[in-house]
Amino acid sequence: MINDIVAIFHDYWLLLLIGQYPNGPLGGLANTLILSALSIALAFPLSILLALARLSKWPFLRWPVTVLVYVTRGVPLLMLILWSYFLVPLLTGADVPSFVTMLTTLVVYQAAFLSEVVRAGIVALGHGQMEAAKALGHGYFGAMRFVILPQALYNMIPSILSTFVSTIKDTTLGYVINVPDLTFAASQVNNQLLTQPFQVFLILAVIYYAICWSLTHVAYRLERRITRRRAGLNGVRAATVIAPVKIISEQL
Amino acid sequence: MTPSVSPQDVNAIRISKVSKQYGDYQVLKDIDAEVARGEVVVICGPSGSGKSTLIRTINRLEEINSGAISFDGQNIHAPMKTRDLNQLRSRIGFVFQNFNLFPHLSVVDNVSMSPVRVKGVARDIAHDKALLLLDRVGLVDKANAYPGQLSGGQQQRVAIARALAMEPPVMLFDEPTSALDPEMVGEVLAVMKSLAADGMTMLCVTHEMGFARDVADRIWFIDAGQIIEMATPEEFFTNPRHPRAQRFLADLRH
Repeated sequence: MINDIVAIFHDYWLLLLIGQYPNGPLGGLANTLILSALSIALAFPLSILLALARLSKWPFLRWPVTVLVYVTRGVPLLMLILWSYFLVPLLTGADVPSFVTMLTTLVVYQAAFLSEVVRAGIVALGHGQMEAAKALGHGYFGAMRFVILPQALYNMIPSILSTFVSTIKDTTLGYVINVPDLTFAASQVNNQLLTQPFQVFLILAVIYYAICWSLTHVAYRLERRITRRRAGLNGVRAATVIAPVKIISEQL
Repeated sequence: MTPSVSPQDVNAIRISKVSKQYGDYQVLKDIDAEVARGEVVVICGPSGSGKSTLIRTINRLEEINSGAISFDGQNIHAPMKTRDLNQLRSRIGFVFQNFNLFPHLSVVDNVSMSPVRVKGVARDIAHDKALLLLDRVGLVDKANAYPGQLSGGQQQRVAIARALAMEPPVMLFDEPTSALDPEMVGEVLAVMKSLAADGMTMLCVTHEMGFARDVADRIWFIDAGQIIEMATPEEFFTNPRHPRAQRFLADLRH
């Protein structure tokens, strides 16, 4: 069994890593990482804008976003992917690459979920911080940028992280519209071997686990650094002497 | 935009016919009052009387239903662009009961952030100025600490330094010592006293009658949304005219 896995790795590592590139489109792990990174990088700022719109006092900003969030939350991601895959070319006549379809759908979907996390973080801070910022003469966006969001986002790191991790895992659904990602490459391998699905998909699971674990670890380190700094433990080596700093994501 | 300040106007703040209600409940009733430049006014009264609401309307943290509040000749409750309101607010220092320091910033950054971000002061100049202000409130050694590491009294002193960093001509205090342990009240009052001694125009909602007696030029006694007595501390404490004020002072002595 171990030998099978090593053999698969040995024979197909390049396909799993970059797909059929340079003879075909870039695929495999490289494409999964690119898709994940782009999705997160675009969904995160979008989610902050959506959260601010949801909290806005103007109904024409609040209502469309509220509808978007409710619809997105109520429909499975796979439905959305298939919709955009079949409907967008039908409606616009444009030939949209499946990678772009997948990326756009994933960004909208995850941004909607993430916006609720961000909104909760902002609301949980209470009025005092916003009032203090206003009293000092900060405008709404200044207060958000320098006072509210740095605290709200920090407090929500565990939930934000969960959404990031699920974004990475959701890239696998690109398989159904032929996005050449890691899952797609693994299933190509499986189709060639035919007899070793367990081994192939175990490799796949381990790779996804490693990616998600790395992200969790990075976020944990980041959170720990911020927590230590705010507790004034900067440069203090023997942190155990002082009361141990509480890290929220440890409870995940 | 420079506010039109008439030099002969001796009033820093003029409150005219201010009323406010929450639904059927009238919080402020037709309030008329002035604060002269350099004057220290203490607002006192029973809880729920509208003291905090009144002081919060002065920098428009609360809206009013009718009337006007002019600060340096401008009605702060007039319809205006948000930018102009922010500009006005930046010149009215406000100290909260719960300090409301920014917990994600170090003490010195709490003090220097708003001059940098709101007034566009250069970062190093704002930093040096912040250190001077922290020295003034006796906390320069805590410059690099975070609010979470400070006691309540220290946090409130930082909050005062933070408000002073905007160089406001007027400071408002909303029960600045009410959330403090008794042994920390003195250090905050001492800072406020030194501010008053330097000629700062101050409006303080407080229950510290000792402070009112020693520092205030005038006391406004407020009950059920109305200022029912305006007097010097001398008059107020020895010979209050209104029966409600007499009862309030009698209750304090017990």
